[in-house]
Amino acid sequence: MNSQTASNRPSSFSPSTAAVEARPERGDLHPDGEKTSGQSAAPANPERRKAPRSWETPPAPVAPPPFDAYENIVGAAELDELRFLARELKGKTVKMVNSTAVGGGVAEMLNRLVPLLGELEVPTHWDVITGGNDFFEITKAFHNALHGSPYELTQAAREIFLSYNEQNRQRMQFNEDLIVIHDPQPAALIGARKDSHARWVWRCHIDLSNPNPQVWGFLRPYIEQFDTAIFSSQSFARQLPTPQYLFYPCIDPLSEKNKDLDENFVQKVCEEFGVDRSRPIVTQVSRFDRLKDPVGVVQAYKQAKKYVDCQLVLAGGGASDDPEGAIVLKEVKEVAGNDPDIIILDLPPWCALEINALQRASTIIVQKSLKEGFGLTVTEALWKGKPTIAGAVGGIPNQIIHKLTGMLVHSVEGCAYQIRYLLTHPEFAAQMGKNGREHVKENFLMTTNVGRWLLLLRILLVEKKV
Amino acid sequence: MTGSTQSAPPHQPAKPFYFNTSAHLLRITALKAATLAEFLDALRACPEDSIFQHAFRTLQEHHFIREGFSNDFAHWVLSALNQPGLAEQLANVDVREYTSLGELRDRFIQIVELHLERNPADASRLADETFYFCASDIVMVPTKFVAQNMQAFATGLREVSVHSIHHHFIEARLRIKLMSNDFSQWLYEDVGLTETARALNRIDIYTGTLEDVRRQIVRVVERALV
Repeated sequence: MNSQTASNRPSSFSPSTAAVEARPERGDLHPDGEKTSGQSAAPANPERRKAPRSWETPPAPVAPPPFDAYENIVGAAELDELRFLARELKGKTVKMVNSTAVGGGVAEMLNRLVPLLGELEVPTHWDVITGGNDFFEITKAFHNALHGSPYELTQAAREIFLSYNEQNRQRMQFNEDLIVIHDPQPAALIGARKDSHARWVWRCHIDLSNPNPQVWGFLRPYIEQFDTAIFSSQSFARQLPTPQYLFYPCIDPLSEKNKDLDENFVQKVCEEFGVDRSRPIVTQVSRFDRLKDPVGVVQAYKQAKKYVDCQLVLAGGGASDDPEGAIVLKEVKEVAGNDPDIIILDLPPWCALEINALQRASTIIVQKSLKEGFGLTVTEALWKGKPTIAGAVGGIPNQIIHKLTGMLVHSVEGCAYQIRYLLTHPEFAAQMGKNGREHVKENFLMTTNVGRWLLLLRILLVEKKV
Repeated sequence: MTGSTQSAPPHQPAKPFYFNTSAHLLRITALKAATLAEFLDALRACPEDSIFQHAFRTLQEHHFIREGFSNDFAHWVLSALNQPGLAEQLANVDVREYTSLGELRDRFIQIVELHLERNPADASRLADETFYFCASDIVMVPTKFVAQNMQAFATGLREVSVHSIHHHFIEARLRIKLMSNDFSQWLYEDVGLTETARALNRIDIYTGTLEDVRRQIVRVVERALV
């Protein structure tokens, strides 16, 4: 297995715009509340938008928590159920194959799932395919095309795609009982099926509801050879001759992004970023990407601000390593103008604890996406019990049941109204936040995901229903 | 349920109660609906596992919601078709009145058919969101809780997962084909607590969360311990 390293992360972080805010120094105060050195916490500086501190290297990856650590979150009974399911699978082995060991939601999820399955005595190996830049340029184009972008599939692209898949097929062994191929990049590895006793599963993490017909037409014959396919939302699925299952994406409640934080740490992060916790805080966490509509969020905030006092925090990344992100950030700053209550934070990807703290400090969390995959930032917000307003796109309606676990909106005006409504109806907002957290606990946590994999293994390998 | 009313204190159960639970995997079927007419067609054609998923299992998935949620069909008709009258009728279908998924499906079909007879223009109105028919693959899972007596039964009720409560209290009627549940059947047949068994059957599962339902079950059982 390719272990996660920081090798694909930038070796240094040099904020490129003046909009970037100060970053807290984690060494001052442990996020769980414990001082990490003999020094006291750095004095808070309430001044806003001060010059950013440089943060030269990302912190080392955190080791995944053991299975038993989830008992405090989901309860002993839930873990017992998983142990039982796993016991019945003793001796069965699994291989997961994807296209990257670091970066992106799939690698993040596998980094947690693989050790947990191993701990439950279902040995799970994780292999990552290799390929040249030409391969990954094509698979990136395939990814966009499967999301509906126009793309002209050439014979050369087909050949490069198949050639790298063949190289990986020859390099890899497929001796496990279940082979899980994640996403389209390694899909043609199914060619190895004829030499393997395994059951084969295609786990599709992307939205196939409106794919480019050329690319889907090319991939489909490979997908149809799998025993089953798994999608992240009902609406992402395609008509296939094989059974299809629904596995919602999930968050890890013990990860840096989602674990409970000490109140002092949350306070310190807010002080460092100039967020005033004595007043309502509306936050959107997302890359500076037009599909996340950060400009629309600023407009909604401005409309709501005519009626209710609040601050807006836009926390995300992408402006320093993506030219389009930098343009979007510039647009956001222009719309924001000189409003001192709009706090724009372009954070590097390793600021999970700070994002966690900002979410926890928020009164309302917004995810006003115009197009979305599943929307794990919504899941994170709901898990923190926050009243959440989100665009009714992609997988978000699976998470937000309108008025019960959150508010779905379709416009800037709708978003502005819901901000006003939730800020003026705190009891309703609190109940909704509570429901949202329970919804995540039931459906979108890592432990639920482990359960789904164990059930699928049982259905495919023990009961052989499929 | 028939039988004599209880008068003596609870005695030793004839058989222990084994707490189980069920785990579900969600299958995506090929059926979907963007209008009420398509919905009716799919309702007629879908596998019984779909009726189970959208009427029974959804209660477990949304067990934390105190009000406003009964089944997926009613929720879609309200939120995506904006048909509150039809939604109320669909929501009013109490799954506990059905011991077979076929009968339950027929009831949903009957309601939609009647609505379309009276409101034919509603048949082709496009919904805001498509309804995707899913189905549930179920695996029964034992738990470590086994009740040899009433005290242990009460302990089990307090400590099992809400999934186990759903399994025994709500899904059970499809297995035992009775207008009852596993807890009441055991109390009636193996413990002789007829009134306690009846009291459990009167608990409303639609006006509270599953944790509320669990608390009510525990209260009823604890009263029998006194």
